[in-house]
Amino acid sequence: MLVQTLEIFLIAITAGVFGSMLGLGGGIIIVPVLTLLFGVPMRTAVAASTVSIIATSTGAAVAFLQDRLTNTRVAIWLEMGTATGALSGALIAGYLDQRFLYILFGLLLAYSGYNMFKSRKNELPEGVLPDRLSQKLQLQGSYTDRQLGKRIDYQVTGTLPGLIIMYFSGIAAGLLGIGAGIFKVPAMDQIMRIPFKASTATSNFMIGVTAASGAVVYFARGDVKPMITGPVVLGVLLGAVLGAKLMVRLKTSTIRKLFIPIIIYTAFEMIYRGLK
Amino acid sequence: MTTHDPELQTPSPHEPIEITLARLLRIGSLIAAALIAAGIATMLLGREAVATRLITAGLLALLATPIMRVITAGLIFVRQKDWRFACFCLVVICALAAGILLGQAHA
Repeated sequence: MLVQTLEIFLIAITAGVFGSMLGLGGGIIIVPVLTLLFGVPMRTAVAASTVSIIATSTGAAVAFLQDRLTNTRVAIWLEMGTATGALSGALIAGYLDQRFLYILFGLLLAYSGYNMFKSRKNELPEGVLPDRLSQKLQLQGSYTDRQLGKRIDYQVTGTLPGLIIMYFSGIAAGLLGIGAGIFKVPAMDQIMRIPFKASTATSNFMIGVTAASGAVVYFARGDVKPMITGPVVLGVLLGAVLGAKLMVRLKTSTIRKLFIPIIIYTAFEMIYRGLK
Repeated sequence: MTTHDPELQTPSPHEPIEITLARLLRIGSLIAAALIAAGIATMLLGREAVATRLITAGLLALLATPIMRVITAGLIFVRQKDWRFACFCLVVICALAAGILLGQAHA
């Protein structure tokens, strides 16, 4: 029992570090580890992973907010999409063909993975003109990049398309029980043209709210097992704090290189599940 | 690092909300971490029933944190008379509340 708790704790730290740096929840690590290595039932593992997404988001957000990497106005604008999307996802869950959804979301991810690969060398977006809505809502932001050692001012575009994509990412989250950061980051990076670090930090900030709506359901159903979820969450919290401190010191291109394989892996995994 | 720190000359317009939210999230994660750590320690001492309750309390504190964060952001926007963003927060809160009610109905 002691050894197992310690092992879960250590793996959870790793999940927290990567989850916070990339703006994902870390469920991509937690779920397979708990089910395959520790023989935890799928429902318990998904419940633990969903709660741990809240831990990643909360633990890392403190550092990102203080570094001004999180764009809170963009986050709140887009949360309207993810929250209503997650609600719709939960409502239609029983009526849709899971397999079709997996293929659809998988193809979508593969496409954004390809786009991200094309722009893999870009450190910062250039020549972005804000649309009218973005100006009206004052979505522009600025942060101090510790790696580049200078202040970055940026504009935001694609405000409405961004919100629509977030609605669908919310549906994906509601249906598949994930934080859906893997859809949020490419949308902010490629459609809204927000600098990559600000995109992952803002996604990280948002996934806590998306996951909270899912976690409530798991709590109510009794799927959250304290003895397993406890060590996972504690490890992820610690890892997320470390990851956030590490991320501000990394180059954007390095973070992209970590993100691209994960997006491609997840795309293939989803398409495979749909075809199986 | 230059001596003319641009951040001092033109402060970010979003500064107050970010500091408040950071503080809220820090308090939430510290409470959750303390309760869960105490629970795991209790578990190692062999008091499983107490441990389960402590950890569950910690997990619930963690779950409440992002929900509190949206509510707090909404209140800050109301105080700043930024009605548009206060409305956005209200939409998020309503969707969350509907999700919670729906989730309990399904359980």
